[in-house]
Amino acid sequence: MILNPETDLELVRHLTAPPAKVWRCWTEPALLEQWFAPKPVVTRDVKIDLRPGGIFATTMDIPGMDSQTGAGCILEVVPERRLVWTDLLGPGYHPAADSFGMTAFILLEPEGTGTLYRAIALHRTPDQRKSHEDMGFHDGWGTAATQLDAVAAAL
Amino acid sequence: MAQHNANLSRIFHALGDPTRRALLQRLGQGALPVSVLAAPTGFALPTVLRHLEVLEQAGLIQTEKQGRTRLCRAVPVTLSVATDWLATVRAEWEARTDRLEEFLATLEDDDDPEPRD
Repeated sequence: MILNPETDLELVRHLTAPPAKVWRCWTEPALLEQWFAPKPVVTRDVKIDLRPGGIFATTMDIPGMDSQTGAGCILEVVPERRLVWTDLLGPGYHPAADSFGMTAFILLEPEGTGTLYRAIALHRTPDQRKSHEDMGFHDGWGTAATQLDAVAAAL
Repeated sequence: MAQHNANLSRIFHALGDPTRRALLQRLGQGALPVSVLAAPTGFALPTVLRHLEVLEQAGLIQTEKQGRTRLCRAVPVTLSVATDWLATVRAEWEARTDRLEEFLATLEDDDDPEPRD
């Protein structure tokens, strides 16, 4: 996979837990809800239908703000190895009317008794992103505000 | 550039307050009159106006008088001045992986993960 350094990112980490456990944390709603968002944000109504075309959806309650719901489309499922989804499509491959523009890969490989964990996120080109922002994008706004919270607090 | 840094300081100052972030968040979904923005905050109108003024000075919102009401709208491009976008996304993924790691560590070694109530 060729990554564009301006729009894509890859995160590689060794996790001490084996791939089976990491996979369950990413694919079972009751588990995902417990770690997906930073406190005090609450993740709820997680829907994951583990098949190509299946739904990958989360709702986040951010204190003092409106809830953010995103419903993406799962593209690939290889149990305990590979989960790929995008927000450019909705469930059942229906084109999404308004999306942030992301395809995410969660890739797991056994490494010792743990897991070689790779997360890859592909995004729109900067020009596309700019026009999306100029239109007043919705989903990214809450994310940016939440992250900026931490940046601002550290100043 | 000094001018650029001054703008950044204003932006971070404006974003450093939870009430202002909440106001900005609501405007992220479309323009609203001041009265509508103020209603759910529980603050007196002058307090809300003061917060809006700070946001406007930072360039995070624009306001415009329309008859007897003042309409506020977000200026999303200002946020991108304050952040390198991809760095922000990376920080989010790094933090998410930290949380996954911490959560995995709370699970019993030999047990399968069990959903909490």
